[in-house]
Amino acid sequence: MNCRECVEHLYEFLDREATPELERDIRQHLEECPPCGEQFDFEAVYLKFLRARCRTQGAPEELKRRVLRELFGE
Amino acid sequence: MATPNKTPPPPPSPAPVDEKRAGFEREALVHLDVLYRVALRLTGNAADADDLVQETMLKAYRAWDQYEKGTNAKGWLLTILRHAFINEYRRRTRHPENVDLDTIEPFAVFGEVQDDDPQGAFFDKIVDDEVLREIDKLPEAFRETLVLSDVEGMSYQEIAKILEIPVGTVKSRLFRARKVLQGRLYDYAVSQGYIKGTPA
Repeated sequence: MNCRECVEHLYEFLDREATPELERDIRQHLEECPPCGEQFDFEAVYLKFLRARCRTQGAPEELKRRVLRELFGE
Repeated sequence: MATPNKTPPPPPSPAPVDEKRAGFEREALVHLDVLYRVALRLTGNAADADDLVQETMLKAYRAWDQYEKGTNAKGWLLTILRHAFINEYRRRTRHPENVDLDTIEPFAVFGEVQDDDPQGAFFDKIVDDEVLREIDKLPEAFRETLVLSDVEGMSYQEIAKILEIPVGTVKSRLFRARKVLQGRLYDYAVSQGYIKGTPA
């Protein structure tokens, strides 16, 4: 596996969606290639950041009440 | 301690409507926050997101008998929500853009920051609202894929099912959506002085 192929699959790897063979090839490449390793670490930080920023918002209380009222008449 | 000849009468079995309601509350209503977040990103405003979620819940409750209990209620609800959005809301809220997704060139952020900030510390300075604003500017096909994955943590398979596209398309859209978003957040960080650099 070369650097281009490795980087192409980086999100599959970080999302834990890679096949076992692909995951093994990527791990092997990352061990031999520190620059790709750094890039994977950077992308992992980015994904963690996205999750942290976007999952905080919930449905407003008024909407919850409205749904219950509409469904069950209360 | 109970004695053999003094067993209490069995509790009255719940009426079917109560059972339906209890099941719906347990399996569907618990996903209200998820539906709201996705609706907000699809419609782009709170009032339409409210209406879309409300309508989704009504449709889901009416169709509850068709849902196979104990399977993937979240995916089932999101499919209903997305169809309702396409059929009734997209026309008047956002217009489906005529964007050629293939012409959107992602910008290689890591190449820009690897000397000064290889750990991506600049991300920490970007607040929620700015991230959501940039997500809202993505083309719809990128936005919905990214929201289901990064906001709701769904698997590629689940996303493919909800969006009715092949898993390979989920992969490529997600890759490019994340890269485009990353480039725009980087531009923003540069413009705010969070990081040195040249905007894309």
